[in-house]
Amino acid sequence: MLFKKLFQVLVLGGAVIGASAGCAQANAQEKGKKPPADAGTTSAPGSGVKGW
Amino acid sequence: MTSARRAAAEAWAFRARVEQEAALRFDRLAAVVASFDPGSPVPAMMRRAADDERRHTELCARLAAQLGEPVTLGPTELASIAPGSLDARQAALYEVVAACCVTETESMATLTTLLAAESDPEVREVLHAISKDEVVHSRMGWAHLSREASAAEVSFLGPLVPGMLAGTIDETLFRPPPADEDPEGLLRLGVLPLAKKREVFLGTLEEVVFPGLERFGVDAGPARAWLSAAAR
Repeated sequence: MLFKKLFQVLVLGGAVIGASAGCAQANAQEKGKKPPADAGTTSAPGSGVKGW
Repeated sequence: MTSARRAAAEAWAFRARVEQEAALRFDRLAAVVASFDPGSPVPAMMRRAADDERRHTELCARLAAQLGEPVTLGPTELASIAPGSLDARQAALYEVVAACCVTETESMATLTTLLAAESDPEVREVLHAISKDEVVHSRMGWAHLSREASAAEVSFLGPLVPGMLAGTIDETLFRPPPADEDPEGLLRLGVLPLAKKREVFLGTLEEVVFPGLERFGVDAGPARAWLSAAAR
């Protein structure tokens, strides 16, 4: 029940906020562009954010 | 000092540092997101969130000090956590998803669980004050992801989510609890016992974060595989 409510409040609630001010503009030819073949595999591999 | 008090002091001190880092991250990301999506409500939300996080830092540090762990705060600059291969817009999305869609959503689940338990009055007051803000901090991540999903390619995130998750968890999460753990004492002081923490972390990923990512076109398959292996 907790998780269902969180999905509604956070995920769906966030989507409503995101849609409230029109759409974001794509960079030129951005949509449909493939990610770099080495995405996430360079010497800086990406990490996460510690929380509670 | 009891084991619960010692563990809670360390937890609140850690939270103070986490909140300070969040303030720095949101200030930086607000400027980046505004540079390519000036019509977005997210940058203003992030600037307010940075102020919230500075307030949370003080609240957490005060509780830590009262429990016997004075806090020394870290640097005042924070590097991006995004992979070096991403362009600026992709890197911003990576970091917003890691910080908000994953970590702030997990924090919200933790806070909600803690508020459902019996806790000391001052601890409860702090939990309540922070939880009101964390709702917005999680939402702004989902808001940004939804906007980017409508304007740009976001599927590149799928294979990168395991890295976010690996960087989010404490290495002790999937280990047995300490022999002297006092679950009731921890809850009174605003800290989840390890088994409950694991349950909340897994449930939030499986029922909130992964379905949320999939809703906006990010394949959660690699993250599910990572979680299955990590929790084994």
